[in-house]
Amino acid sequence: MTTSATTTTTPTRTAARVVDAVKVYGSGDTSVRALDRVSVGFPAGRFTAIMGPSGSGKSTLMHCAAGLDTLTSGTAHIGDTELSTLDDRRLTLLRRDRVGFVFQAYNLVPTLTVAENITLPLDLAGGKGDIRDDEWIDALIDVVGLRGRLHHRPSELSGGQQQRVAVARAFAGQPDVVFADEPTGNLDSRSGEEVLGLLGRTVRQTARTVVMVTHDPVAAAHADEVVFLADGRLVDRMTSPTADKVLDRMKAFEVPS
Amino acid sequence: MNASVRISASSLRAHKRRFAGTFLAVLLGVAFLAGTLVMGDTLRASFDTMFGNATSGTDAVVRSADTITTPGESQGVRQPVDTGLVKRIEDTPGVAAAVPTIEGAGQLIGADGDPIGGAGPPTLAGNWIDDAKLNPYQLAEGRAPSKSGEVVVNRGTAERGDLKIGDTTTLRTPDPVKVTIVGLATFGGEDGMAQVTFTGMTQADAEKYLTAKPGEAATIQVRAGPGTSQQELVDALTPVLPKGIEAITGQESAAENTDMISDQFLSLFTTFLLVFSGVALLVATFSIHNTFAIVVAQRTRENALLRALGASRRQVTVSTLVEASAVAVVASAAGLAGGIGIAAGLQALFPAIGFPFPDGDLVISGLSMLLPLAVGIVVCLGSALLPAGRAGRTAPLAALRETAVDQSGASRTRAVVGGGLGVLAIAVTLTGVFVSPSLWLAGSGALLALAAFVVLGPVASTTAVRALGSPLDRLRGVTGGLARRNALRSPKRTAATASALMIGVAVVSLFTVFGASLKATMDQTVSRSFAGDVAVSTPSFGAGGSGLSPRLAGAIAERPEVDTAVGLGRGVAEVDGKGRALTVTDPAALERAFDLGTIQGSMRNLGTDGIAITENEADEQGLKAGDKTRLTFTDGKKDTFTVRAVYGQSELAGDYVITREAWAPHRTQDSDTLVAVSFKDGVSAPDGKAAVEKIAAAYGNPEVQTRDEYAQSSAGGIDMMLTLVYALLALAVLIALLGIANTLTLAIHERTRELGLLRAVGQTRAQLRAMVRWESVLVAAFGTLGGLVLGAFLGWVLVKASDGASDSAFAFALPPTQLALVALVGLAAGALAALRPAGRAARLDVLRAIASGG
Repeated sequence: MTTSATTTTTPTRTAARVVDAVKVYGSGDTSVRALDRVSVGFPAGRFTAIMGPSGSGKSTLMHCAAGLDTLTSGTAHIGDTELSTLDDRRLTLLRRDRVGFVFQAYNLVPTLTVAENITLPLDLAGGKGDIRDDEWIDALIDVVGLRGRLHHRPSELSGGQQQRVAVARAFAGQPDVVFADEPTGNLDSRSGEEVLGLLGRTVRQTARTVVMVTHDPVAAAHADEVVFLADGRLVDRMTSPTADKVLDRMKAFEVPS
Repeated sequence: MNASVRISASSLRAHKRRFAGTFLAVLLGVAFLAGTLVMGDTLRASFDTMFGNATSGTDAVVRSADTITTPGESQGVRQPVDTGLVKRIEDTPGVAAAVPTIEGAGQLIGADGDPIGGAGPPTLAGNWIDDAKLNPYQLAEGRAPSKSGEVVVNRGTAERGDLKIGDTTTLRTPDPVKVTIVGLATFGGEDGMAQVTFTGMTQADAEKYLTAKPGEAATIQVRAGPGTSQQELVDALTPVLPKGIEAITGQESAAENTDMISDQFLSLFTTFLLVFSGVALLVATFSIHNTFAIVVAQRTRENALLRALGASRRQVTVSTLVEASAVAVVASAAGLAGGIGIAAGLQALFPAIGFPFPDGDLVISGLSMLLPLAVGIVVCLGSALLPAGRAGRTAPLAALRETAVDQSGASRTRAVVGGGLGVLAIAVTLTGVFVSPSLWLAGSGALLALAAFVVLGPVASTTAVRALGSPLDRLRGVTGGLARRNALRSPKRTAATASALMIGVAVVSLFTVFGASLKATMDQTVSRSFAGDVAVSTPSFGAGGSGLSPRLAGAIAERPEVDTAVGLGRGVAEVDGKGRALTVTDPAALERAFDLGTIQGSMRNLGTDGIAITENEADEQGLKAGDKTRLTFTDGKKDTFTVRAVYGQSELAGDYVITREAWAPHRTQDSDTLVAVSFKDGVSAPDGKAAVEKIAAAYGNPEVQTRDEYAQSSAGGIDMMLTLVYALLALAVLIALLGIANTLTLAIHERTRELGLLRAVGQTRAQLRAMVRWESVLVAAFGTLGGLVLGAFLGWVLVKASDGASDSAFAFALPPTQLALVALVGLAAGALAALRPAGRAARLDVLRAIASGG
């Protein structure tokens, strides 16, 4: 398998990218190469899905690209900022100001209301730095359809509603890029469909960038493009995916080439 | 191995950290308790040995049989023995030697000009006994005094005053006597009898300065000839002694002395320390209970799984209890070892700070081993009992649900029970204070109030934390808001954590309030009854000091600036068979320098057979002006006195007043405790004070103080007591801190994923630390506030109950500065407790935190 078949240059600006990314866990005989010289860019204004079987390194790739984890070698960039040059504080501030997150579960702070959860990153930034765009947040609340629930606690919401709050929070700070890690993994298919539709709509209507890790072909089909990972390497990219096409491509992994 | 035991063993291994706080709390409490007991035993044994050594050569002691004991004094006053008896005793068969012992108060002035000792232990002077076997002091250096003005002092005293052989200094008896040190002595092999100072002078000097008239001695010490036992000696002596004089064996005398020290000093000392170790352990109970409650709540899933797999309720409960016992046993054992270590450390430390702590091994009795162990285990197991029961009741289905975090708290029952307790507490207290004054009732009310506070804690915590934390949202933004809501998450847990601190702070506030009230009382007493301009006194507490020369008042009165100078002397007599303290003074001058309230009769002409009594005492004894009463003095003489005046206010003046002339025939070593001076009109305060100081300089230089200064220095002992109390309570507060830190650590463990999320969406480490810190400060603020309110209430109860139970009026005072300081310390403690948990939380790896199983 060669990586030269895939190109790392894209015609548009990239919101986030990794270059020659290598991530090794452990050392010596027990070491695991989770990422093996992966170079990939996530174009701005697009919805990209990272697919791959379990252990393919897709979550590691996302964590490293988002600045939650550090690479063993290679570089990761958010916009023009190279993450390895940042200390913990700057990395935290970068996450707060320029990156949004949606996790699989446990996405909200249970003691805060829906409204407070949505503005949490902005509140953490306090008065300094970014000027908060109330119009944007107002619009966002309508997009996710939670206006009636703003003063509820997360425990009073269904899983799907909670995940929609998480999506609103991820976009609240108008980040360069939103990373979503299996956002529908804990949801029933209807709620999952809602959350995925929401992500897609937000990208297309507001020109935001989303990078989503998933192992569900149906979820991946919502993306503009799918990148495939196997054994820590980038093996394919697919534009305008459908669930069937993705499923076919995935099946190919099960038979070793 | 039994399944329950195996489960608890593996759980303990896996969660060592969670029990670190519990372990430390038990360890500290037990160490305090064990240290106190071991030190008490060791000191008691050392004193036994010391007295045994010191008096081993004395086979019998001859003394007067009767004592007069006044209320509030444990040791009675014994009348002197005629030294003429010595000859008769020496002639008795079996007697090898007999020497009179003269004993009185004498305070040495150190090389720096300040008096040595006087802050508690007695400052003694006596005749130096040349018969080395009969003298409890042994000459260690130099020689015995051979002529007037030469003295031997015990080595400890010489060291404290920086005095050497050949030095000349002043001995206040209370008249200043110029003395030259010619020898240094030891007592029972030590540098002194604890902190007691001793100055030995020639027999002639001792008779001159320490007794009312020559030929009197406190006791006569007798040594037996070869072959005569102590009992045989006493039997031989008894027939030759006149009526009212007794002989006891040397062993009995030594035992009496040891008992006296044990009762007066050691028992008080150990009881005092035991009370504080009790407070520390009570605080520990709350911390420990809380830890187990949280651990059990966190382990709901695990326990439910065990139950689902077929573990019985009992097995789950037992496995929790086994865990608690393991912690209890190990921590108590470590605490016991620590306590013995503390005692050993103090034994090494005491001599270094000039307190002779006799050498010798630590005395570790069975009781002082078993009691701390038992208390530690009972406290720890008792605290774990309820949580263990709860663990057993876990429903198997809970394994399938989300982790249930303990969120119970403000139930209606709790509010009702707590409210009921509170109302009962107030009712009982008010009854004990106002309706039928009784310390016992008031005390029960205080305990009920404590219980009400603990029960109501979870009910109050929600409201209180919300209110206390409301400024946080504005001041600290979302960080503060998160901290406040975290503190509100589990009202029960917040309350239990805060309760530990609450009790500590309550006891601190109680003493602060009580101390301030005592000071205010003292101040009130002085300003109400002291009508003079300056007071001359020697600062001393307890049995120390030697008082003022009775001639000082007269000398001061002769100054042209001075209108009146009245000295208050102290005497003892039995009034109608009851021992009473008498004020010996010039009653006419007393009336001018002190406000005695309304006087029935006249203070002017008490003469040698008149007495003045306060209204309170007169009512109690059924006496009124004109009545006759019988006084028995320490020399055995009985005289009839006529009540010539009944006055309203006692306070500084005392309850019984007689003239110096009436007292003179019965006097012992005379001294005044206070000279009150009023200036003539037109004399400025500084001029008058300077004039008085000039006179005082010739009389051993006692302190001359204005009214305010005098009131302040009278309260000096209270500050000393408070300092000691604060030092002892520091341990309880430390244990409460450990409790807060432990709860936070457990809470952080519980919220790992949430913290990871916060970090992922942009909470900086500093913000995370601040969040944890503010949560801790809020919990501490709640505990501190509760403690302040409870402590102030208990202080009020104590003051009011004392007021009701005693004749003298007690003033109640709330010291705002000190209480504010206590509050600040409480808050700072909260911030301090958060230090480690916050640091640990901030170090969490973001990814791992998010991924960790919930």
